[in-house]
Amino acid sequence: MREQRRKDAVWKFLTYSFILVMTVAMMVPLYWMIVAATLPQEEFIQFPPRLYPGTHFFENFAVLHAETEFVVSIWNSVFIAVVYTVLSVLLCSMAGFAFAKYEFRFKEPIFYLILATLVLPIQLLVIPLFLMMSQIGWMDTFRAIILPWLANPIGIFLMRQNMRSIPDALLESARMDGATEFQIFYRIALPAMRSSLAALAIILFLFQWDLFLYPLVILESSANYTIPVALSGLEESRRINYDQIMVASSLAIIPLAILFLVLQKQFVSGILAGSLKE
Amino acid sequence: MSTKHTSDGYHRLWDRFRSFRRELTERTPSLTRSQVAYLLISPFFVLFGLFLLFPIVYTIYLSFFEYQGVGDGRLFYVDLGPIFFEVPRIAELQFVGFGNYTSMLADGLFWQSMFNTTYILAIQVPIMIGLALALALALNAGFVRFKGVFRTAIALPVSANIVAYSTIFLILFNETGFINYLLSVVGVQPIEWMRSEFWARKTIVGAVTWRWTGYNMIILLAGLQTIPQQLYEAAEIDGASRWEKFRYVTLPQLKPVLLFVVVLSTIGTFKLFAEPYVITGGGPTNATITIVQYIYEEAFVGSPNLGYASALTVVFVAIVSVISIVQIKIGGDD
Repeated sequence: MREQRRKDAVWKFLTYSFILVMTVAMMVPLYWMIVAATLPQEEFIQFPPRLYPGTHFFENFAVLHAETEFVVSIWNSVFIAVVYTVLSVLLCSMAGFAFAKYEFRFKEPIFYLILATLVLPIQLLVIPLFLMMSQIGWMDTFRAIILPWLANPIGIFLMRQNMRSIPDALLESARMDGATEFQIFYRIALPAMRSSLAALAIILFLFQWDLFLYPLVILESSANYTIPVALSGLEESRRINYDQIMVASSLAIIPLAILFLVLQKQFVSGILAGSLKE
Repeated sequence: MSTKHTSDGYHRLWDRFRSFRRELTERTPSLTRSQVAYLLISPFFVLFGLFLLFPIVYTIYLSFFEYQGVGDGRLFYVDLGPIFFEVPRIAELQFVGFGNYTSMLADGLFWQSMFNTTYILAIQVPIMIGLALALALALNAGFVRFKGVFRTAIALPVSANIVAYSTIFLILFNETGFINYLLSVVGVQPIEWMRSEFWARKTIVGAVTWRWTGYNMIILLAGLQTIPQQLYEAAEIDGASRWEKFRYVTLPQLKPVLLFVVVLSTIGTFKLFAEPYVITGGGPTNATITIVQYIYEEAFVGSPNLGYASALTVVFVAIVSVISIVQIKIGGDD
């Protein structure tokens, strides 16, 4: 009995140690980002480095702001991601509702066609999209970044699966009360889907927020850069040091990290929804 | 006088508009349900066809050609009086048949990028899934307190922008960076992470693992929570040890989720681009260049070999699809 208790204690100790070590490992890069962002360059590059944050954040930010258009990039990224998310959620839920609750011709084949594209890494359609955008004169525009990804296969798939759970009797009784089909959609279907919509919105927002290869190809002028494109260019700029790059990274990471802390439940359900593609 | 007059005019106009609208709604029958369905789905499907289906087909088409520049003039146009639009020629192309595919076979850099990607994958995915599974098990254990805090902290990298976190790793693994400092504390010589093939690849592995372990942990944790508690109770009555409970209850029950996570991570790491692009630039001497990065360079850096890059994309997508299909087949057996 005592033997067993000792074994349990050792096991508990090991489990806690593992969790703690991993937690610290996950925090180190973020901590180091903050240290680097708040130190002047001279103090940061010395070896051994200073291990705790300084007070130089705003000076570093001032240099970043004076030498680059990074603040504009933050605005661009937020603007693009928000507009994209709103439009795509609307589009996907409309189409998902139609697939879940209506009968129409070619319904099955169209749905299977969409399903088939689920397995494709759609970010890789860069080459044809680049040619299309340069032909129609959309290079270096936000609409070229937003439009191609609006019809998101994951989005319609999720919405179709979830909309199916709305009872038909509910829709039927609304029809009896004289509601039009569109009223049924936005008065009954959308409110019933609130939590799925939140999860989908997070999936789509992160998809657009992390898009890198495609905007790197499409966006040409620095005034139009999104955060990832602007960040990847900072490294090559001679007037910018690591401190300033870390200020930029902090500005890219911290708002989303706060959003994650606040909306953790929705993030988790977004991850789970996005993972349950089958 | 005149203002009253215009205001009356507006009212009259508004009344006429309203009666016109009433007439219109009364005369046109309300939409049938299938018409509503078409209205709901058409915006999605137009964009889907234009920006997804067409590019897929066009990528395959392009892979049989050599790209010779942006097309000029138009392919065809539609002129119906008020409605006029033209479809431009997308590109100047020279048909080469399977030429792009055969030259791939002799392309050293293609094989190098395939090798690099597979190498990073073969190390990164097992480490990450192992860590994610261990963390999920640990955080699912009954005796652990502050679960929420730990889970949040470990999952926090999920929200980190890909390029932003890559720049952090660039600085962490700098020659005078924090990692080398830690090594010096324990008495290890500093490592030139970006100069050595071996260590450059490990840096990429570390970065990707940091970003995605928490993500996979969340999925596995959800999977663990669906395992019925009675199975563990039954195993305990049979006197099963901790390892036996894991081996004979947890693992088989978790298998579908675990498999799913493995495939998702495999595909994710296969698509690696931002991390090597930012952290190592594909170096040293192409030791970390990935397939997607190679496609990007063929297509958009220097002279644009869009035909060849399309052929590379087709091969790449085929491999990814095969991995997915194999997963569905294996997963479907249960």
